[in-house]
Amino acid sequence: MLSQSLALAWQFHRQERKEPSHRYLRWIFIVLMVFIVTLSQSSHSIQQYLTGNLASLLGADVVISHSQALSHEQQRAVEASSQRIVETQTVLTTLTHDQQWQRVKLKGVASGYPLQGELKTTKVLGGNEQIVEGGPAQGDIWLDARLMASLSVELGDSLTISDQTFLVSQVLVHEPDRLMEGHNVDMRAMVNLADLQQLKFASELTTYRYLIAADKSQIGSLIDWQKTALPAAQVFHKQGAHPLALFWKRVENFMGLASIVLFFMAAIAIEQLSQVQIRKEQYFSAVCMSLGASKAQSFYLSVTKWILRVALLLPWVLVISGLCHFFIIDWLANTFQDTAFQGLTWQWNWRVAINAIGASLVVFLLAQIPVWYGLKQTSIGQLLKRNTNTSATWLIKACSVAMLALIAVFYSDNGLLTVMILGLVFVCVSVITLTSWGVLTFGEKLTKNVSGLLPFTLFMMRQRLVSKSTQILGVGLSAFLLLFTLMLMKDLGETMSAHKRQHDGNLLISQASDNQIKAIDLWAQENDIEIRQAKPFYYAKLIAINEQSLTQHSDKPSDTMATFQQAIRLHWTDGVPNNNRVLAGNWWSQNTPDWQQISVEEEVMTDLGLNMGDQLTFFINNQQITFTIVASHGYRTGGGSITFWVQMPASAQYHIDAAKYYMASLELGSEQFSLLGDLWQQYPTLRMVSLKEMTERFDQTLAMVTQVISGFSLLIILLAIIVTVSSIQALEVKEKKKNSIILSFGFSRKTTLQLNVIEWIVTGAIAASGAILSTYLAGLMIYKSQFSLTYQPNFVWLALTVTIILLAVIAIGVQASKQSLSSSIRDLLAE
Amino acid sequence: MLARSKGCIELDGVSQAFSSNGANVTLFQHLNLSIHQGQSYAITGPSGAGKSSLLMLMSGLEQPSAGAGYYVNLEETSNKLALSEVRDAFGFVFQQFHLLPELTALNNVALPLRLRGIKDAEQRAKKWLERVGLGHRLDHKPNQLSGGEQQRVAIARALVFEPSFIFADEPTGNLDGNNANDIADLLFDCCSNQGAGLIVVTHSEALAARAQHRFVLENGECHQLSGTSLSSEQKASAVQKVASC
Repeated sequence: MLSQSLALAWQFHRQERKEPSHRYLRWIFIVLMVFIVTLSQSSHSIQQYLTGNLASLLGADVVISHSQALSHEQQRAVEASSQRIVETQTVLTTLTHDQQWQRVKLKGVASGYPLQGELKTTKVLGGNEQIVEGGPAQGDIWLDARLMASLSVELGDSLTISDQTFLVSQVLVHEPDRLMEGHNVDMRAMVNLADLQQLKFASELTTYRYLIAADKSQIGSLIDWQKTALPAAQVFHKQGAHPLALFWKRVENFMGLASIVLFFMAAIAIEQLSQVQIRKEQYFSAVCMSLGASKAQSFYLSVTKWILRVALLLPWVLVISGLCHFFIIDWLANTFQDTAFQGLTWQWNWRVAINAIGASLVVFLLAQIPVWYGLKQTSIGQLLKRNTNTSATWLIKACSVAMLALIAVFYSDNGLLTVMILGLVFVCVSVITLTSWGVLTFGEKLTKNVSGLLPFTLFMMRQRLVSKSTQILGVGLSAFLLLFTLMLMKDLGETMSAHKRQHDGNLLISQASDNQIKAIDLWAQENDIEIRQAKPFYYAKLIAINEQSLTQHSDKPSDTMATFQQAIRLHWTDGVPNNNRVLAGNWWSQNTPDWQQISVEEEVMTDLGLNMGDQLTFFINNQQITFTIVASHGYRTGGGSITFWVQMPASAQYHIDAAKYYMASLELGSEQFSLLGDLWQQYPTLRMVSLKEMTERFDQTLAMVTQVISGFSLLIILLAIIVTVSSIQALEVKEKKKNSIILSFGFSRKTTLQLNVIEWIVTGAIAASGAILSTYLAGLMIYKSQFSLTYQPNFVWLALTVTIILLAVIAIGVQASKQSLSSSIRDLLAE
Repeated sequence: MLARSKGCIELDGVSQAFSSNGANVTLFQHLNLSIHQGQSYAITGPSGAGKSSLLMLMSGLEQPSAGAGYYVNLEETSNKLALSEVRDAFGFVFQQFHLLPELTALNNVALPLRLRGIKDAEQRAKKWLERVGLGHRLDHKPNQLSGGEQQRVAIARALVFEPSFIFADEPTGNLDGNNANDIADLLFDCCSNQGAGLIVVTHSEALAARAQHRFVLENGECHQLSGTSLSSEQKASAVQKVASC
């Protein structure tokens, strides 16, 4: 029985595969599986790459930062929820050398550092960077280039801290965990943790940081543990509040969304095709039964044919998707070449491939269930009575829903996003179903007594309400998913470009004198380097608030107060800087003669308990000047990163006699970094921070993700075309019959084509209404919660895009109608 | 396979009724009927009288509302089988031909043999196509054949597995006069040669007249116009009434 049925199924499969409809179905299967496998492989590679990249930028999966060392018990608790831990300690201290002194952030690192990412140093100031395996050996100290310049230290010199002597052995270039330490421009030095511990700094000066490697669930449990067991500590993690977190979350969510959208599209295409397939299989089975085959035999035959059909596609799918994956990775690696770190490499992941194929097979299998259920309902009676069984139609719908739910469970790791999309699909289905029913029913009723092509078309569509609604649903759902993806791609793309602009310059000058900034300006012009920002300031020490000393004003310890114990940078400007916005009070007018007014940053106002009208007295180069607070400002992204806590009118500079300094940011090409050596030699006191490492990775990651998002969207467009073609194919036979009947009424081909065009326009218009409304709702629901974007719908853009999509749908539909009409009436009638 | 043994289909007091839009519709009641292998039968009557339903009951495709249908092996009179159990001994010919469009004429005819795992299916199918005069159309697909040719393929397909009974539903309904005659000749000759019972549902007087036995199903009553297949009680009836509602 088994071998006989297998042989028979094989024979039928071979005969059927030459048929256009089977060929069409086969291509759909191949295309869908290739899409899904290629995308899974590519996104897996890209995600791995991005995770690696992120690790290089963050240095750990989680960082616990605390003012005290973890107790043994706390250490054990952390170890239980992690894979690896590396301890670091940082102390803000002063280093001296040959009469020079400098405040510095001294970091002690344990063995095993860096935990993730790359630690980079150079052996010569301005020389080639090298990746080092671990931190300094005991007795060694590494200083960053600014610190070396500031202390006039050279490699090989000795530095003494307390009573310990350290050898300056390397120039510190990049610490992978620096981003998680927060933005600061402190000069940096690194020693072995054992040395730092021997220096016996007071524990209140020390920050203890534990770099932890952990998976997603471990991160969750560490966060929970910290909340209860160590509430005073701070936890930074990949999904947390670091500068890349939002960006990373967006990337992950977009990829998740694109995968879900692709699967939904596939589900719609398969659902549409099932309608064709169910009729064919039922017919085949009924004929077999009329020839003496049992129902079980017919069923077994159908199952075997399906297994053969799918099994024979798998080698093709694997080969094609392997090639596609290779070309995608090759293209990405070549487009985003980076000599500083290893780029993407092609790697076939069998687990991912098996998962993707398994998920696709589940989708196909679910789509096939109504077909097999239809076989159960089949009888020769259908052939005798010349009617078709439609009881499986609702099962198809139920299976589609089950299919989507299964996808949601297995394929997505973002439950909320999946539920939102499912909800939106449901809304879209409801809107389109109701609109279809309303437009066709009332349209037909209203135009009942009117002659013309439109009333006739509405009448014909109304008569075929169920099948027509299914087609409109297919087109409308794919239009919605496509429109939403395109809209998100556009908005995300714009946000990312804004991100890029905000992220200004890869060389930060934290202090340059008047002469130095002029020289830098000249140097930049000579070398074609762009100075993105240059902002002047005086060093000013706050000595009194409302005529009270700082200690009298507040005894509450805070970081802000600690910073105000030293001189701060006081900036002057007439206009509100591009990266600031006024949050309270009124900014001064240009060239105001009232120069003794200031704006104070919002957080500083809060920390120091300041109010509008308060008076701050600063000590600036032996001058004591009192300013009145007239405004409070906050940081705004997109206009550069250099911002100041305290700002005064530009006219103030004419009343203050002090040394002017500048903060500036420059954008250097990677080959231009070698030019910095000359600049440093000329101006050893120039304080510069190279952000080359961080910015290069950031820029490349952004550019790559933008490309990936565009690629995903392209695939979704292609799949949308497949769905549309499937929707047309699903009704092809019925359309041919309808056309033949209309032609037999004596209508010309031209009129019949016009009727088809009107029908497609009505179909497109109903689908468009559902797509626009659902896209609008999707924007409201998903933008804020999943992408932290404010949704500002651009209805002109939406309308234009949906018009283009639907013109394409109508064009495809009309083309199919033309083809159907190009057959002779005899052929059409024979159908 | 029952084709080699002599058998008969017996309907014992069968009734058929269904409900439509809340109303009960009775097609026929208490019908007793015997159909013998090797004989030909025609069932005529107006549309909606229940001819196709009667055909479905006889072929075991539908269960009657009351009564029962059996297959009786006349060589072993004690052996009564439910009609659904002997379905593989029945063949069908349809008005719409119902050939599989993706298969050639040869493959369409070979289909029932392949379903039964017969190895020389193609050779046998080829012989049958030659017998029905389509030896030159083996590799043509249904849409490349005329209506008459398609029905010839359908007849070859129905007979190729040597069934005991052939059920034909309006086999000439879609054909012109000449083609209808040719197909009727072919159908009756082939069944006769094969020793198969033939039951034809038709509106055509000409086709019905060829059958050895003829029943008229009308207003819930079934009359035999000729032949001797009635039960003994009904034979006595002056009007040759075989069933009535």
